[in-house]
Amino acid sequence: MGKNGQAALEYLTTYGWAFITISVTIGALYYFGVLDFSKYLPQNCIFPSQLRCLDFSLRVPNVNVKLINNLGEDIKVTSMQITNDATPPISCTPPAVPFDWVHAVEKDFIFASCSGGAYLSDSRVELKISITYYAINTPSNPVHLINGKINGRAI
Amino acid sequence: MEEPYKVKASKGQSSLEYLLVIALTFALIVPTTYLFYNYSKESSQEITDAQITKVGRGIVDTAALIFYSGQGSKTVLELIIPDNIVSAEIIDGRELVFNMTTSFGVSEIVFFSSVNMTTATSNCNANVCNLPDLASKGVKKVKIEAINKDSSSITTI
Repeated sequence: MGKNGQAALEYLTTYGWAFITISVTIGALYYFGVLDFSKYLPQNCIFPSQLRCLDFSLRVPNVNVKLINNLGEDIKVTSMQITNDATPPISCTPPAVPFDWVHAVEKDFIFASCSGGAYLSDSRVELKISITYYAINTPSNPVHLINGKINGRAI
Repeated sequence: MEEPYKVKASKGQSSLEYLLVIALTFALIVPTTYLFYNYSKESSQEITDAQITKVGRGIVDTAALIFYSGQGSKTVLELIIPDNIVSAEIIDGRELVFNMTTSFGVSEIVFFSSVNMTTATSNCNANVCNLPDLASKGVKKVKIEAINKDSSSITTI
């Protein structure tokens, strides 16, 4: 029993340093973002094809996005919101609403003066944009919601 | 007396080599898996979007074709409903709406028809008609019929 205990202690003293060194190294790599593999993902902007995302830019403190109305109908946009999963979430001044949007027309939208949401230069962010609209020619004007996502590096 | 030490040293080396190979393998597999998982997640959303666009356009275009072919005309479409569709409905007889879930929320995919669309009256409430059979994934047979001079009926069979 005594020999077993000695062996266990010797094992820990021999390899304990190795465990500590490895743990500290991994912790340091994680802290400095080396293990943040998301930065190797491509930047993209995903919206349903009916309001396709053509381009975007993340220039702090603004978020710019260019969309095209592929619905085949003229619509009136009633709200545009941007958020993300950070605490507190990003807060921006959205484009002025309501406005009409003719079909097959591209529009540039600027979410200005953004704050919070860890939206800082050289940081990787994932932003969710929600748009509500209704078709002008539908009698009861039912409001529809479309969600899109921008994943990219702020500059 | 030297022999046991040689054996022990050899075992230690092989253990270390084993650990190094495993560690290197993990160092390659973990980030690669993460990157490919994210790629595939975004691709699946685009595929669902493309599939539901094909379904919606197919129904709306066929409804117009059948309507203008005259009363009594009908056809049956075989459509593949993708995963992530939680509801389907017709609003005001001219909007075919699919609710699609994505990793960033629910989006309504809307198709506008040039002709009046309807379905079984039991599924209609005021100006909204539900199409419950189109809200689950799989192959669906959809009958489109010009039931009168005003509208095309869309039902699953």
